[in-house]
Amino acid sequence: MADNHFISFIKKVVPRLLVIAVVLYGFNRIYTEYVWSSDLKKHGTMLDELHAIQDTSDMLYFAESSNFTIGPNDTAKLRISDYIDLSFPSRRIGVINHGAYHAQLFLPLIEQIDTSSSVKTIIVTLNMRTFNQDVIYGEDEAGLQMTARLYQPQPPLLNRLFVSLNHYDNKDAHARDILLWKAWTTDTLKSTVDSITFDPNTIRRWCETTKFPDSNGVENMKLRVLADQSIKAYAFQIDESNPMVQAFDEMVAVAGQKNINLVFNLLAENVEDAQQYVGSNLVWLMRQNRDFLVNRYTERGVLVVDNMELLGSLHFLDRAVFPTEHYDEAGRKAIGQNVANSLKKIIEPK
Amino acid sequence: MLFNSVNFLIFLPIVLILYYALPNKYRWALLLGASYFFYGSWKIEFLTLIVFSTVVDFYVAQLISRTTHSSKRKLLLGLSLASNIGLLFIFKYLRLFIPAMDPMLVNIYTADHPILGLILQGVYFSIPVGISFYTFQTLSYTLDVYHNRIEPERHLGKFALFVTFFPQLVAGPIERFSSLMPQLQENHGLKYRNFQKAFRLMLYGFFIKMCIADNLSPLVDKVYADPSVFNGFSTWFGTFGFGLQIYADFAGYSLIAQGAALCLGINLIDNFKTPYFSTSISEFWSRWHISLSTWFRDYLYIPLGGNKVSLFRWVINILAVFIISGFWHGANYTFLIWGGIHGLLYLVERAIKPSKHLQKNLLRKLVGGILIFAAVNIAWLFFRIDNLTDLPGHYSALMNSVGSQTLTIETALVIILLIFLIFEILLYNSRFDRLMDKLPMLMRWIIYCGLIWCISAWAGVTNHPFIYFQF
Repeated sequence: MADNHFISFIKKVVPRLLVIAVVLYGFNRIYTEYVWSSDLKKHGTMLDELHAIQDTSDMLYFAESSNFTIGPNDTAKLRISDYIDLSFPSRRIGVINHGAYHAQLFLPLIEQIDTSSSVKTIIVTLNMRTFNQDVIYGEDEAGLQMTARLYQPQPPLLNRLFVSLNHYDNKDAHARDILLWKAWTTDTLKSTVDSITFDPNTIRRWCETTKFPDSNGVENMKLRVLADQSIKAYAFQIDESNPMVQAFDEMVAVAGQKNINLVFNLLAENVEDAQQYVGSNLVWLMRQNRDFLVNRYTERGVLVVDNMELLGSLHFLDRAVFPTEHYDEAGRKAIGQNVANSLKKIIEPK
Repeated sequence: MLFNSVNFLIFLPIVLILYYALPNKYRWALLLGASYFFYGSWKIEFLTLIVFSTVVDFYVAQLISRTTHSSKRKLLLGLSLASNIGLLFIFKYLRLFIPAMDPMLVNIYTADHPILGLILQGVYFSIPVGISFYTFQTLSYTLDVYHNRIEPERHLGKFALFVTFFPQLVAGPIERFSSLMPQLQENHGLKYRNFQKAFRLMLYGFFIKMCIADNLSPLVDKVYADPSVFNGFSTWFGTFGFGLQIYADFAGYSLIAQGAALCLGINLIDNFKTPYFSTSISEFWSRWHISLSTWFRDYLYIPLGGNKVSLFRWVINILAVFIISGFWHGANYTFLIWGGIHGLLYLVERAIKPSKHLQKNLLRKLVGGILIFAAVNIAWLFFRIDNLTDLPGHYSALMNSVGSQTLTIETALVIILLIFLIFEILLYNSRFDRLMDKLPMLMRWIIYCGLIWCISAWAGVTNHPFIYFQF
């Protein structure tokens, strides 16, 4: 009797579910054709950009604001990607460029590069600060993760529905701030060499104990803030559990599947100021993280261009406020040329 | 776990498969486990509050039923009231009476002392989800046992399920023990008809939550953030838009809850009946958040004497009930004023109550409907503003707007609002599943497809949990 009920139930439900599945398939076609583009214009312009340039580019340069931020005194308003372009006059370099983007946003875009397109090489900025807690738990992340959801290589209607259902890391700013303070309080720094010891060994304690009193005992707040910002930016240790590492790992796998050359542009960081305001322990961490990234991805067949210590402090535009990867004209030019020189090892300039 | 989440769309079918695969005697355990999982997915620590409330009310009710000593029964009832209202006070209202704290300081403190920090987070910022709903549900149980209306439940696990039944745990409808418990005990077979009705209720619920409420939300937020920059139309649209937003948000939640429960064979009460077509305030409150308004009627208004008291006392009772129901929504004086406005409107309405003949007059109904719609929506202003200092600016922007910005209302939203209006008219004194019963199959499927399109392609994209979760 119960079996009869069940079979009768299934007989009624299954055909209806099939109808709904067919309807959804049709809706996806309609949505992709007529609505998707306008949704992308509102919530994620870079996928449209990618579609527009992938058939006319030999190389794609994926970057955040390091590429397009221009200093007030710069005479040549060229981007890093423009300097690379100058070294390859007969190659076409397309640029996917959006402020605050990082590996988790570049990955779904790279997944959507058509294998039949003309793209043979992609260059992705490897920005060390995007691996730190301040970015991972940053208040802008929910919006960026929403965009990343829209970029996923799945039926566009499904992506749209997932966005509406908040199916991405959508923790609000308050929840992220709790996690950030927890990480700064409990994540401990460990040295692997005798010459370096971390005491205090958390970001929070390190910031609290870094002081700049003058001869009268009055704190130099400007230096204190700069030291604080440097510690929060660089006092972390990258390992395999870092979400950005996972995204870069996947990127390597995707590029391999698509048979595309992958180049990581490890951006310049203000090592001089880190040394000046905080000291050699912080610089040791920066170099340890750099080594981790360079070794990891070189072993995986990626061309990693190490620019981390390429520039002196004066080339960093925001150095009076906090550490960023915003460079002056000479800085952008140096990085662009360094990347171009490395690229010449795998690409004929023609 | 939110209803409008992929997790819930996976969770519900798993629960349903296990539910119908299990013999009836084990189902309560499955549903209890599922309900704790559902709630714990927000903050597992806050489960301790539900368990506390459950255990206290379970044992207090047992003791009340076993004693005939009046003062002892009162003492036990007082213990239940104190623990439930105490929880509400600590996590919902205490912040009104203690100095404000910088969120960053609380976050730093949370990093140092996780448990105390969590309590501080609850006290200052994030109210444990659904606390007002489940404490009221357990309170009604204890009061019913106290008044000998029901026999207490003898099984702690089954009682815990009554408190935490996941479809209605975090935002109602607030169910009575006499209605929900027998259904939770009953052996429900797999019925296509239940699933058909549940699908319809959930489909319409998702439509009005995700398409109406979530699309209006960013527009309303913009206007309430700074009404002075918008032109007249935009300010009025944003102000009245909140009335639609909160209705679609909460009614949508209630419909999804009803649908989810119905999949398990359990009927929850209707929480909304096209309230904006009410022609009087009393009718509005018989159509808006029905489970709460009947709770206040049965457990506050009637015990205060109802209408069997002097006129003066009755006026005080009415105002008290409305003001307290306003305060139930949150720790802000604006909610008190919102409740008070509704109380005053109710009193004015009763004072000028027209004759029965006039009440049936179509023109009077039409005028009454427009006035009530306007009054209710203006009253929402007090509900939505963060504090009273925002009021003059908002009022001034409404009456004499000088701003030049215009809200961008997209074509899809206009279409969705029109669809919503048509359904609201058709659903007057009906429900979506019953309305569909009256339509031919082809028409039904056209409507289903239309709603599926709206939900999948035109739903709001920004992150908006249900408004009533904060209460």
